[in-house]
Amino acid sequence: MRWTVLAVGVLAVAAPGAWAQPVTPWLHVQVNETSKASKVNVNLPLSVVEAVLKAAPEKVSADGKIKLGIDDRDVRLDDLRKAWKELKAVGDGQFVTVEEKDQHVEVARKGDLVIVRVENADKGEQVNVEVPVSLVDVVLAGPGDTIDVKAALAELAKRRGDVVRVTDKDSHVRVWIDEGK
Amino acid sequence: MFFKLAGVALAVPVAAVAAVGATGVVVVDVREGGPSGHHIVVPMPLALARAGLVLAPPDKARIDVGEAAGHIPMARGVIEAIAAAPDGEFVRVEQPDEQVVLSKSGDLLKVEVHGKRGETVKVQVPLQAVLDILPRDGGPIQAAQLATALESLRFTDLVEVHDGDDQVKVWVF
Repeated sequence: MRWTVLAVGVLAVAAPGAWAQPVTPWLHVQVNETSKASKVNVNLPLSVVEAVLKAAPEKVSADGKIKLGIDDRDVRLDDLRKAWKELKAVGDGQFVTVEEKDQHVEVARKGDLVIVRVENADKGEQVNVEVPVSLVDVVLAGPGDTIDVKAALAELAKRRGDVVRVTDKDSHVRVWIDEGK
Repeated sequence: MFFKLAGVALAVPVAAVAAVGATGVVVVDVREGGPSGHHIVVPMPLALARAGLVLAPPDKARIDVGEAAGHIPMARGVIEAIAAAPDGEFVRVEQPDEQVVLSKSGDLLKVEVHGKRGETVKVQVPLQAVLDILPRDGGPIQAAQLATALESLRFTDLVEVHDGDDQVKVWVF
């Protein structure tokens, strides 16, 4: 009887650990170009994406940070950080709306997501980007003009569903994360 | 009496061939198409290769990879991540004249290319063997490590190319 109780106790403690399968988030990229009859599907575990980014010479340093060469451009990462800090404090809402003759642009925050939508009716283009707020936080958290890719990927690993969707007349791009291959 | 002597005489070479074969043989098989096409089979016993490498001067038993040596630790990182990843189809490119598929199945990273004219290229990269070959410190590749890694790949097809009637196949037997 004592052994039975002991065995059941050991199983109760060990079984959840033994049965729990580690969840592997996969990054999927799908590019379909109808005019060229071309289809590209990329399905990679995020662990592999991280390793590949680390291997990208000179762009990503050994500690998993990417250096942006945008010092000489109009937009500086510091300016983006300041803007993001202000926007984040506002909470949910429409941050930017641009209405033009043939183009409509919206940047909004809805819950945990920053949503960017661009529509160009004339060209039949539609861009949808959904980025988790926490990911923007992580991306803009690094010092100077660096992005912590490792931390960004760790944050991205928590996301499930579409990240980017771009549709135009003859091509369709979709980037999403799930737990399937 | 004659049969006993013949048996003893045959036992030595048979045992030698069996011993060599037991450690693995890399086979390169090239078939040319057409009525006068050649068929060339080159078997390379790994036991003999290893024996030769033991006798070779140290500088001849190393493969210097030049500037690429600096990138070996990063390449190892990518291969380790792929080896630890679940099986699946990683990349598929479909175009009117070409199809490319990159997938992982167990320890093998598989590359398959199908061309417009029906030509196919199949490459299987054994991940653990590549990790065994690539030096951790990024120095030159030791040929002996290469031979040892190949020995662990018995009954594995490494490369298969079909182009019309021409065919090339490399496998470890």
